[in-house]
Amino acid sequence: YEGHNKDLSWISKIQVNHPAVLRRAEQIQARRPVKKEWQAAWLLKAVTFIDLTTLSGDDTSSNIQRLCYKAKYPIREDLLKALNMHDKGITTAAVCVYPARVCDAVKALKAVGCNIPVASVATGFPAGQTHLKTRLEEIRLAVEDGATEIDIVINRTLVLTGQWEALYGEIRQFRKACGEAHLKTILATGELGSLTNVYKASMIAMMAGSDFIKTSTGKETVNATFPVAIVMLRAIRDFFWKTGNKIGFKPAGGIRSAKDSLAWLSLVKEELGDEWLKPELFRIGASTLLSDIERQIYHHVTGRYAAYHDLPMS
Amino acid sequence: MRTGVIGLILPSTFSFLEMMWRICPALAVGCTVVALVPPASPTPLLLAQLAGELGPFPGIVNVISGPASLGPVLASQPGVQKVAFCGALEEGRALRRALAGEGAELGLVLGAEALLLLSDAADVDSAVEGVVDAAWSDRSPGGLRLLVQESVWEEAMRRLQARMERLRSGRGLDGAVDMGARGTAARELAQRYVREAQSQGAQVFQAGDVPLDSPFYPPTLVSDLPPASPCAQAEVPWPVVVASPFRTAKEALALANGTPRGGSASVWSERLGQALELGYGLRAGTVWINSHGLRDPAVPTGGCKESGSSWHGGPDGLYEYLRPSGTPTRLSYLSKDLNYDTFGLAVPSTLPAGPETGPTPAPPYGLFVGGRFQAPGARSSRPIQDAVGNLHGYVAEGGAKDIRGAVEAAHQAASGWAGQSPAARTALLWALAAALERRESALASRLERQGVELKAAKAEVELSVRRLRAWGAQAQAQGQTLQVAGLRGPVLRLREPLGVLAIVCPDERPLLAFVSLLAPALAHGNTVVMVPSGACPLLALEVCQDMATLFPAGLVNVVTGDRDHLTRCLALHQDVQALWYFGSAQGSQFVEWASAGNLKPVWVSRGLPRAWEQEAEGAGPELGLRAARTKALWLPMGD
Repeated sequence: YEGHNKDLSWISKIQVNHPAVLRRAEQIQARRPVKKEWQAAWLLKAVTFIDLTTLSGDDTSSNIQRLCYKAKYPIREDLLKALNMHDKGITTAAVCVYPARVCDAVKALKAVGCNIPVASVATGFPAGQTHLKTRLEEIRLAVEDGATEIDIVINRTLVLTGQWEALYGEIRQFRKACGEAHLKTILATGELGSLTNVYKASMIAMMAGSDFIKTSTGKETVNATFPVAIVMLRAIRDFFWKTGNKIGFKPAGGIRSAKDSLAWLSLVKEELGDEWLKPELFRIGASTLLSDIERQIYHHVTGRYAAYHDLPMS
Repeated sequence: MRTGVIGLILPSTFSFLEMMWRICPALAVGCTVVALVPPASPTPLLLAQLAGELGPFPGIVNVISGPASLGPVLASQPGVQKVAFCGALEEGRALRRALAGEGAELGLVLGAEALLLLSDAADVDSAVEGVVDAAWSDRSPGGLRLLVQESVWEEAMRRLQARMERLRSGRGLDGAVDMGARGTAARELAQRYVREAQSQGAQVFQAGDVPLDSPFYPPTLVSDLPPASPCAQAEVPWPVVVASPFRTAKEALALANGTPRGGSASVWSERLGQALELGYGLRAGTVWINSHGLRDPAVPTGGCKESGSSWHGGPDGLYEYLRPSGTPTRLSYLSKDLNYDTFGLAVPSTLPAGPETGPTPAPPYGLFVGGRFQAPGARSSRPIQDAVGNLHGYVAEGGAKDIRGAVEAAHQAASGWAGQSPAARTALLWALAAALERRESALASRLERQGVELKAAKAEVELSVRRLRAWGAQAQAQGQTLQVAGLRGPVLRLREPLGVLAIVCPDERPLLAFVSLLAPALAHGNTVVMVPSGACPLLALEVCQDMATLFPAGLVNVVTGDRDHLTRCLALHQDVQALWYFGSAQGSQFVEWASAGNLKPVWVSRGLPRAWEQEAEGAGPELGLRAARTKALWLPMGD
């Protein structure tokens, strides 16, 4: 997706009312529960949306290899067989790592025979407070190493000082640096100050050519929450109505339980519809979520609660 | 003190919550309840059974399952002191007419329509969620009138239609649905309304494909309905939303206030100043800013105009079931041979009085309307006699035309007076008090001629002056902030003027009663049309001479004449906001009956005398409570 010409009039009159959005967020969580076999089905679908992530200072090739294997076989084989889903090719959507670990990840995935994309974070993740030159170079190096998806962070300074044109310009440059790779723009909504700024930043990011907009790095104090997500999903819908382009959405950070993931699926279904519920348009950035989902599926299949050692580590 | 036995009449589609909103405050202040519920509802019977198990107090909650026709029967039972009714407009009107003359006071809450005002400075998506809460959910009481500013009309309609596609109808107990069904009667009402709207030229949008024989009615959006069509004037049923555009905030207020209903409304605008202006300007009982449908037991909920003037929740909800200490039990004073069509219709002719004895004859007083003395339409006067039967003076014979003129003058002065600061109102009332003091000897001598001892007359004038000052000082305390659990932000309980208040003064105490009724009405921001004492209106007219110079024109209007005829004109007038009647029992019954026209709140004396000189009856808090109406303004905060 090449991007759109910038049109600041799309964001000039926007207002977001925080208490009303909070109310809507509570309602969605309360009003769309899913149970029994449908819950198991939704959980498997949620697995296919996960970008299995490891972004720690102590990543080495060994834990990356473990992660990639888990990405190919997210749920234990016998559990899938019990649900008759073992031959449907259930894998996570992608693997997400730091730029220095991209080579390891690509090698590990090749060894396991899996063609899911490797996503790399870039542009001074997580704070984004480095010079533009180095940020662009990071993207190029990650793409060279074999990453086919890039998660960039926007410059929050530009948002907080209202420099929307400059923000548009930067993201355009990142888009060009990505080349063929798929661009996800992290808005770091916890640091943007107000929901109105979240909407505006989402719009600018989409106009500048992002394929996905992502809520947060996972390293802020407040990461992906429902009110912020509602605002971003409304921005995606408005952009689709204006241009006909479908941009994807990725919440990241703070999604740990299977129940949460179901609420996220309901949210996207309610606000955008079923067309957005595919890995090309929806991802969940998570690391421990997968084990909780596996635990829920174990319970659904066997009727018992699993011990820590019953399920393989990721 | 508590009122006594409360009769509660519930409509065929009542919710458990509505019932509890009425039973709980009544029980809390010590009243007992008899509820009449439609036959097919077991829940109230279960409640009564549980209440019956409270050992020492069986019988605090009693439930009768029966048809609506038992309503008047229940209300006319001797012990029942108050009847609370909530339901449809026409039933409320019929009940008001049927209960005229019975002992029970009637509290009405009618209609369920709400209003949502969407300005161009609003968060349109959140306002659309507000529409869903207001009209397309199981919590919504009724349909919705939606006013959208023209500049955001297209956007709002598009988002509304997209949102409607996502609503799910299903069994109410299923946790994952938005709307249930409300019975065949409600469904048919909605269907009829939509068909009529279509035939009158409206565009109708309904979400989803609902088969004709299913019990669910789909969420419906009606637009392009011409404002003059009958559907636009009728109440909007659930789950229909009727949308109309407006150009400016002023036009929005005019459209919003242009219906006889005044229940609840919400204003959506992120501009604080605009939101507050619209919130204060709407004539509704509850106004939510940037939210809809919030409720709390500590906040009064009620309406104005034809939505009834009964409240639940908050202090007003408790006042419904209380009355001033020492008030005697209300008894029926029904007079079965009162003919509503002929009461006060014809004015009995008065023969001219005999020759005047005494000092030079004074010219006849005119009517005090619009700030000056005017000749009456009928161009005739009536004589007033003093205690010994001599002629005391002539006063004008006012008629229907004069009442009409007086009410018009009062309306013209109403917005200016309501907009005055409390300090300005205090100043005017104190100025009048000072003027009366200066006129003390003249007033005392007139009272003497009416047979009052000089000392008592002076005392009466002094008391009147003191009352004016006391009510003037009370013009300060209006409105308070309520604390609501679970809401971030204040809720204001505002006390607003009723508008034009019509007062028919008692025959006794011509000066004291006149001033005691005038002062609280003015202090709370109303303009008044008064019919002074029939025995001696001259005292009131003396006071008018001072008011002519001190008060803005139209603030106080005094019309003399045949009391029954004038009462008839005022009671039937559609643009009088409230009526206080202190006169005969038959007059009281007529006033109660006639108030069904625009459902104005009335206060009648039922022919019983009132001790005006006592603080409790002449200047008690009851007067202040009745002289204003409440509005709850919700201001949730957050950014």
